[in-house]
Amino acid sequence: MRIHVQADRCQGHARCLAEAPEVFQLNELGYNTTDVDDVRPELQTKARRGVLSCPELALTIVED
Amino acid sequence: MAAPTDKITADRPEGAPVVDFDLSTHNSMESSNAAWDALRTTAPVAWSDDNGGAWIVSSYDAVTEAFRNTDAFKSGRAVRGRPGPGGDPGLMPMNAVPAKTTSLMIPEELDAPLWHPYRRVFANLLSPRGVEALRPRITYWVTKLLDDVIESGHCDIVETLTSGVPGAVILEWLGFPEEDWHRLSAAFHNMSSYIEGAPDAQHYLDELEWAFQRIREEVTVVRAEPRDDITSFLANTVVDGERTSYEFATGMVNMAMSGGVDTTTSVASAAFVHLHRYPEDRQRLIDDPELIDSAVEEFLRVYPPARTHGRTVVEDTEIGGFTLRKDDRLIISEVSACRDEAAFPDAEKFVIDRFPNRHVAFGIGPHRCPGSHVARAMFKEMLVQVLERIPDYRIVEDELDEYPNWTALGGWSRAPITFTPGTRRL
Repeated sequence: MRIHVQADRCQGHARCLAEAPEVFQLNELGYNTTDVDDVRPELQTKARRGVLSCPELALTIVED
Repeated sequence: MAAPTDKITADRPEGAPVVDFDLSTHNSMESSNAAWDALRTTAPVAWSDDNGGAWIVSSYDAVTEAFRNTDAFKSGRAVRGRPGPGGDPGLMPMNAVPAKTTSLMIPEELDAPLWHPYRRVFANLLSPRGVEALRPRITYWVTKLLDDVIESGHCDIVETLTSGVPGAVILEWLGFPEEDWHRLSAAFHNMSSYIEGAPDAQHYLDELEWAFQRIREEVTVVRAEPRDDITSFLANTVVDGERTSYEFATGMVNMAMSGGVDTTTSVASAAFVHLHRYPEDRQRLIDDPELIDSAVEEFLRVYPPARTHGRTVVEDTEIGGFTLRKDDRLIISEVSACRDEAAFPDAEKFVIDRFPNRHVAFGIGPHRCPGSHVARAMFKEMLVQVLERIPDYRIVEDELDEYPNWTALGGWSRAPITFTPGTRRL
């Protein structure tokens, strides 16, 4: 499972980080600009919650 | 209420649903929420001749679309069609309706590209990582201010905690002297709730002017001789190789203070009133503290501090099937979006573990509140400590005071509580 970040939609709400700090990384300004290449199976539930939490709908799951 | 009106103004757009919707007439949360619900379910994008004539945008979809379209809808202080700093101060983004002039707020009242470097300063300072540096001070102030009253068995939880904590945390961070904290916090707290023409309105406006004067004084001092505090950092911001103007420097400190000291107060007070009225929710949080994070989001959705914001249209733009014309004003309702059944099933219910909860209490789009992370941290620590230390508090209902005005901000002016006395921690 991969997660694609539409960086131009992210506004720094950081809800993804709140749900899954092990999965998502924010830059120094608190914005998510980095795709996640491989979400470990044990973190996928949390990662999905992070994706669903984004109020800007900036995150999408790409199933392998 | 959202009822047809016979009033005619030259400004009125053709074909738009026209409603009679004067935001300032709602003097309680209940009546304001009911008015928004009636409007949203009949005319989610409508024109009202009230408030100087403006579009009112109230559904979740239209609100998020409007907030995100910063090319067409500008935040700059404006007369109709002339947004930007230096315009007529009557129309400000945080005042959906024409209001008394207050000092400039930076970056809220800027539009891109000027907005970018100033937003970066706040985004960096207040990022989740930046807030970690403040966390020990947040814990300290919640502990200390509860310590001050915990042996007595009673206090006004607004003055002591929900106003006291953000005031102490933010004003300490800004480096303002402690003897000013109470008066500065009170100035912004009272400004949020005053009613035009009320007997105490002039006093509140005078106090607010005093607060802005104190900011100007401190900015002058720290631009001459910087200290190790955030006022000095903001006031000496360098953009494109040059130190920012005195006007913009004060605007940044105005923003940090007014955004910081009373907004968290509103939702935290609402949460403590809620937990008094709904003991089953209180018990669930006591039994399962892991629910606190989702409860924080649901409190924000149900009791958003900022209820509306204003924008100016700079190019004809369609929303919800209607064309908003260049130079029109629009009022965007966070509170109504948060109550939209289309986005939140059982929207009228407080659902402690609601998920997902993509509320817009902090706004949405580029102007999203950059202080949201510090606000959440302060709010959560207050909830945690109250539920641990004075879990049986009761509000003295007949001394509970709502804000008399629910136009732009909502909240509680006063909420006296009693509780079983506890022990100090410090």
